[in-house]
Amino acid sequence: MDHLETKTYDVLVVGAGGAGLRAAIEAVDQGVSVAVVCKSLLGKAHTVMAEGGVAAALATTDSRDGWRVHFRDTMRGGKLLNDWRMAQLLAQEAPARVRELEAWGALFDRTPDGRILQRNFGGHQYPRLAHVGDRTGLEMIRTLQDRTVQAQRIDVFMECTVARLLTDDGRISGALTYRRESGRFLLLRAKAVVLATGGIGRAYKINSNSWEYTGDGHALAYDAGADLIGMEFVQFHPTGMVWPLSVRGILVTEGVRGEGGVLKNSRGERFMFRYIPEMFRGDFADTEEEADRWVADVIAGRKAEARRPPELLTRDVVARAIAQEVREGRGSPHGGAFLDIASRRKAEDIRKKLPSMYQQFFELADVDITREPMEVFPTTHYMMGGVKVDPESQAATVPGLFAAGEVAGGLHGANRLGGNSLSDLLVFGRRAGAGAATYARAQSGEPGVETRQVDAITAELLAPFERKGSESPYAVQDALQDMMGTCVGIARTADDLQNALAALGELRARAGRVGVDGNRQYNPGWHTTLDLRNLLTVSEAVTRAALARRESRGAHTRVEHPDSDKRFGTVNVVVRRQGDAMTVVEEPIVPVPGELRDILEGKD
Amino acid sequence: MPDRRTIEIRVKRQDGPDRAPYWQSFAIAWRPQHNVLSALMEIRTNPMTTDGERVSAPAWDASCLEEVCGSCAMVVNGRVRMGCTALVDRLDQPIVLEPLTKFPVVRDLVVDRSRMFEALKNLRAWIPLDGTYDLGPGPRLSPEVQQFRYALDRCITCGCCLEVCPQIHRDDPPGTGFVGAAAIAQALLMNLHPTGQLNADERLDALMGPGGVASCGNAQNCVEACPKDIPLTHAIGEIGRQTTIKWIKDIFVR
Repeated sequence: MDHLETKTYDVLVVGAGGAGLRAAIEAVDQGVSVAVVCKSLLGKAHTVMAEGGVAAALATTDSRDGWRVHFRDTMRGGKLLNDWRMAQLLAQEAPARVRELEAWGALFDRTPDGRILQRNFGGHQYPRLAHVGDRTGLEMIRTLQDRTVQAQRIDVFMECTVARLLTDDGRISGALTYRRESGRFLLLRAKAVVLATGGIGRAYKINSNSWEYTGDGHALAYDAGADLIGMEFVQFHPTGMVWPLSVRGILVTEGVRGEGGVLKNSRGERFMFRYIPEMFRGDFADTEEEADRWVADVIAGRKAEARRPPELLTRDVVARAIAQEVREGRGSPHGGAFLDIASRRKAEDIRKKLPSMYQQFFELADVDITREPMEVFPTTHYMMGGVKVDPESQAATVPGLFAAGEVAGGLHGANRLGGNSLSDLLVFGRRAGAGAATYARAQSGEPGVETRQVDAITAELLAPFERKGSESPYAVQDALQDMMGTCVGIARTADDLQNALAALGELRARAGRVGVDGNRQYNPGWHTTLDLRNLLTVSEAVTRAALARRESRGAHTRVEHPDSDKRFGTVNVVVRRQGDAMTVVEEPIVPVPGELRDILEGKD
Repeated sequence: MPDRRTIEIRVKRQDGPDRAPYWQSFAIAWRPQHNVLSALMEIRTNPMTTDGERVSAPAWDASCLEEVCGSCAMVVNGRVRMGCTALVDRLDQPIVLEPLTKFPVVRDLVVDRSRMFEALKNLRAWIPLDGTYDLGPGPRLSPEVQQFRYALDRCITCGCCLEVCPQIHRDDPPGTGFVGAAAIAQALLMNLHPTGQLNADERLDALMGPGGVASCGNAQNCVEACPKDIPLTHAIGEIGRQTTIKWIKDIFVR
């Protein structure tokens, strides 16, 4: 082995989004040495894109709110599959985390008397999202970044990717990383590792996630032997742009439909009328005339007598409807549905009511939503599933491994409420940092790193340079994304999922033939090749878990099992590595204790 | 009217910090509504110059692709801007891409912006809290102050304001050059924070030192270049006023 740059820390944090930075700050406050590695630059992580706000029962806008209501909303949103203790901790601790963030310099919109203004959001009973305009994620990252920069004992390795976690006798001993810029390897020895790597959106073509979201943490944990839970639960936002390429996947807010935007297929039909579920029939308009009347009333600020347009059905219903229209050959030219507000409202009204939407698409892609319909398709938005963790410390099932934020599983159950992801980052980022620091302090001596293990990994990482030109990494990633969208999308059938498993086998073989040109210095082709391994692992985990859950619940829909099954309401699907094989088992979830069950049943 | 069949992009490349720059041209098929980043991504999948030479893909920074993260600032046809909002159809061809000139080049269009973090450190543009006291229910803040702070708050640390500032030089020795508009606006943001006010004097002291607010030459380029329309010149003026008051006060207190 050539000289290998090596550094040693107590705690290594992987990822510099909200969860990673919060974990690093907490660990360093507890007096241990900390390093953060991140794939992009500090302050540019995916968290910056969060718009809605951070859910916390501060009760500054509506005094009726409290942790019990937040707990209930979160559990109901997750179809009761959540880890109840995590949901409780989230609800109880989020207000303190938000106030702490404010004390550190973060800015939030205010009520007229100067308190934090909270906004309403889907699934939250009271206005609960603390926010600053539509830039809450950026604010959170900026504040945490400032806090990280001022801490003397946090070393940040930017543009650096973790290739593998290292273990010594079953315990975490560090991570082998490569610097994206120079291509050189960097060995970071650590007693504890906190994964805060976010989600898996890049396994799908249409996704709202940043390029970093290749499921790294999920795959690293799986490789190290940790359990993954809830991998079948992938949240799709019904309306992401499919065209032009420059904005593919970017969210189109529900507000467009709330302001009267309609969904149409290639024949010009307003197809949502055909998709109103039986249980909602009484609440939604069944004619265009009635739907238009509702919009007219709402725009005029009158109390609507008519029933709501079917475009405002829940996210899962709208997403499935669009997918079905496309599957049955009634899609738009680029494989979506038309979302038309241009012909429904005056240009000046659209610009006034939806300023960021108008401006964003105009600036990023020269699309004028006041003049032409958008082409939309469900976009992969959030991963509920992830590393199984202890709710108090965020410890994974491998000693020394911790996980927080989107990469951790359990909190959101079968479906996440908007706003809960940002509070998740703060509450469990802090807990993971504390858990990792406590664990690291309790270890006697440095964990060992075997040279042989490291040599074998570096050889594997460099292998693509020896296989010149047989297969392009981008072509394999493209094929994977298409396959996942088609076979493991919103509405899943056993046949599709079986086909997906077969396809994943072929894609894995193709990935093994990928060759890379050039040298190791900033070589995006090589980086993509290494990302493929993670994408294939998480794609297989999602597929196998989806196959195992033979029911529909929350974000997971099985076409041949359209209803929820009581038996599946009591189990997690656990994905685990056994040798080279991926195994799937069901494990019972911990039942909600009596006093919390009363809260769920509304007896608070 | 540019040629609609192809998009030609000339990239100023540099293999490493101490290497000499050189130019390469790439062409891709025209597609509607490309921006500079989506065009670069297409080049990346098959990096071949217009001379038919297979080369390594040009390097650039990007993360969010929706002008929130501030990674992709570059010089496009001679003007600094974000790559994600530089629409190909509105640019003269060939489109010429260069790295920011006021920062050390890491590779191709990637530059080292750590100078911006150093400036924040110099100004202590944060709230120092040691976590030992109860934060209580949080401070009140009027919506008016909040709105003004929000205007300063939109900074995405892209570096455009430094790129266009005549007082900023690429070879400024670390810690001595002008801190720049972005950091001054952040210092004001923190000076307006209910708790941050308690340390306002420390920030003003730093801003009265070398490379502080007096180094501003009032060229006002920064406010023109800022992609987030932050009132930078206003912030510099306000900090200038605060430092003057503090200077006079210091004379009497001394």
